[in-house]
Amino acid sequence: MSMVKYIIRRFVTLLPVLFGVITLTFILSRLMPGDPVAAYLGDRWTNEEYLRVQHLLGLDRPMIEQFFVYLGNLFIGNWGVSVTVNRGAPVWDLVLDRFGRTFDITILSIVISSVIGIKTGVISATNRNNPKDTVLRGTALVGVAVPVFWMGMILRYILGYLIPIFPGLNYKTPGIGDPPIITHFRIIDSILSGQIYLIWDYLYHLVLPVACLSFITLAGIIRQTRSSMLEVLEQDYVRTARAKGCEEKDVINTHALKNAMIPTITVIGLNFGYLLGGAILTESTFNLNGIGALIIVAIINFDYWILNAVVFCITIAFVIVNLCTDLVYGFIDPRIRY
Amino acid sequence: MEKKNTQQEIEEEIKSKGKDNIIKKIFSWILKNVKFLLIPASRLEELSIRQIEYEKKISKRKFIRRMKSTLTIFGMLLIFFIVTIAVFAPWFSPYTFDVLVGIAPGNYDPPSPAHLLGQGRLGRDILGRIIYGARASLTIALPSILFSLIFGVIFGVIAGFYGGWADSIIMRIMDILLAFPGLILAMVFIAMWGQHMEYIMLAYGIIGVPYYSRLIRSSVVQSRDLPYVQAAKVTGAGNWRIMFKHILPNCIQPVIISFTFDIGGIILSLAGLAFLGFSDPQLIEWGNDIADARLHLYEAPWGAFWPGFMILLAVLGFMLLGDGLRDALDPRLRNIYGAKKKKRKKGKKEENDSYEKK
Repeated sequence: MSMVKYIIRRFVTLLPVLFGVITLTFILSRLMPGDPVAAYLGDRWTNEEYLRVQHLLGLDRPMIEQFFVYLGNLFIGNWGVSVTVNRGAPVWDLVLDRFGRTFDITILSIVISSVIGIKTGVISATNRNNPKDTVLRGTALVGVAVPVFWMGMILRYILGYLIPIFPGLNYKTPGIGDPPIITHFRIIDSILSGQIYLIWDYLYHLVLPVACLSFITLAGIIRQTRSSMLEVLEQDYVRTARAKGCEEKDVINTHALKNAMIPTITVIGLNFGYLLGGAILTESTFNLNGIGALIIVAIINFDYWILNAVVFCITIAFVIVNLCTDLVYGFIDPRIRY
Repeated sequence: MEKKNTQQEIEEEIKSKGKDNIIKKIFSWILKNVKFLLIPASRLEELSIRQIEYEKKISKRKFIRRMKSTLTIFGMLLIFFIVTIAVFAPWFSPYTFDVLVGIAPGNYDPPSPAHLLGQGRLGRDILGRIIYGARASLTIALPSILFSLIFGVIFGVIAGFYGGWADSIIMRIMDILLAFPGLILAMVFIAMWGQHMEYIMLAYGIIGVPYYSRLIRSSVVQSRDLPYVQAAKVTGAGNWRIMFKHILPNCIQPVIISFTFDIGGIILSLAGLAFLGFSDPQLIEWGNDIADARLHLYEAPWGAFWPGFMILLAVLGFMLLGDGLRDALDPRLRNIYGAKKKKRKKGKKEENDSYEKK
C-alpha cells in the first residue's frame, strides 16, 4: 500500500516537470520558422483554401487558446493530424507504430548491457589490477568513446557484407507479413496473434543494432559496478562471511553484489535517456524506420504535431523508467522503505 | 613575532610582484588563481613561507604521481596529436583547403599513392579532410562547452547560495531542460536558427547548462553553512564576493573533472548531429563525411572508416585524461587504491616527522 502511495506521490511531483516539457515543446515548435499550412497544401493553393486548412488545423485561433486545446487533446489521445510526413494520417498511429520499435531496441539493449556489465564489473573488481582487469576496462573505455553510428556501419560492413551472417538493414525480411496491430509492439502483437516465427525474424534483424547500443552503455555500468564492488569488498560483513566459511562464489554473489547494486541501478536508469538519443542514431544507420527517421523528417518539414507527440512520448518513457529504478531499490535493499 | 614576520614577508612578496612587467603580472595572476585547483594546500596562509613551499612541493608531487598512469599519458598524447593536426592542418594536409572542398575526378576511388587513404565524395582526398576535420570539431566543442560551463556555474552558485524561491525557480527550469531529450532539442534549435556554426555552438551550450548547474549547486548547498563562509560574512564581505571568491573555488573540483569528460562527449554528439544532417554543409567535418559515405558503405568502406576513427581517437583522448584527473582529484576514490597507496602514505608521514624534527 505504501508503495502505491509512493508512486502517486512521485507522479504528483513530476507533473510540473512534465507540464514544463509540454509547454517548452509547444513554444519551440511555434517559434520554428515554417508554415505548416503552406506545407500541407503543397505548391499551388488559393486564399480560400489556405484559410480553410488554417481553420481545420486550428491555427487561426489565438496562441493561448491553441495551447489549451492542444493540452486537453494530448491526454485524450487526439494528437492531431500529420501535415507533411504522411498527409492526413493521425499522429497517434504514426508515432506509436514507430515508437514501439525504438522502445524495443532500447529495452533489449538495456537488459543485455546490464547483465553483461554487472558480470564484467564483478570479474574486474575481483581481479583488480590484473591484466584481465586492465583489458576489460580498456574495452569499456573504447565503448564510451566510439561513435555509435560509426560502429554500426563497421558491424554492417563486416557481419553483413564481408561475412554475411546478419541482415544489415531493415527490421524484417522483405515480403514477410505484419502481425495485426493491437498494442503497436511487434513482439507482443506476434504472440497475441500466434505468429511466433515473426518474433524470430524480428529478433534476428535486431541483433546488430542491439549489440551496438549495448556496447556504448556497457562502460558506465562496468565502471560503477567495479568501484562499488571494491568498496563493498572491504566491509566488515564480507570479512565475517568469509570467516564463517562461505564459499568465495557465495560471498561475492550474495553478500557483496547485492549491496553494491544500488549505485549501478542508478547509472542504468540514467543511461536510458542517453540510450534513446543513441537509438535515434542507430536506427538511421540500420534503416530501422523508428522514431528517429520520423522526427528528422518532422523537424525539417516543420510538422509541429509529430514533434510534440514524440517529445511527449520520450519524456513519459524516461520518467517511467526512472520511477521503476526507484522501485527496484526497494526489492534489492529491504532497508529502503517508501 | 613569527606571525608578523610572515605577514611582512608575504606583503613584500606581493609588492615586489606588483613592480614586475605586465606579462609577469598576468602570469602570476593565473598561477595564483588556478593553482589552488591543482594544489590543495596552496591557500593556507597561516603557515610560514617555508612550510608553504614544502606543502606545495608535496602536493604537486602527489598530484603528478597520481596522474602518471599509462592510460592518462596515452590520453594526453592523443589530445596533443589531435590539437597539433588541428593547429597545423595546412602543413600536414597533402592538399589545400580549396582543393578539399572542390570537385576532383574519382568519386570514392580506392587508396592510391596520390590519395593515401582513398577518395571520398566528389573525389575529395580523405587524408586531407580528416586532418582539417579536427579543426571543426575542436572549434565547435570548446566554445560551446565554455558557454555551458560559465552559465551553468553562475546559475548553480546563485541557486545553491540563495536557496528559497530563486533556487526553486532556477532548478525547475533546469529540470525541464534535463528531462527534454538533448539530441532532439539540439535538432530543433538548429532547425529554428539555421545551420551555421555559431548557432550549433549556442545550441550545444544551452543544452549543457543544466548539467553543470546541478553539479555545482549540490556542492554549494553543502558548503553554504561552513565556518569559512560565516567568517567571510563576519568580515563584511558582500554576497557576490562570498559566492564567487570564497565558495566557488572550494566547489569547482567536480566541475573541472566532468569538464574534461564532456569535451569528448560533445565531440561525439556533434558528430552524431552532423551524421543526421544537422550541421553546416560548408564545414569539413568528420560527421558530415561519414554521413556522405553511408550510401557507399559496401563499395568504399574507407570513406566512413577514417573519419570515424579520428572521432574515436579524439574522444578517447579526452575520456582517458578525464579518468586520470578524476582518479587524481576525487577524494572519495582514494580509499579504493591498493597496498601501493598505503606505502606511499607511510613514506609521507615519515617525511613530515623528519621535517618537524628539524
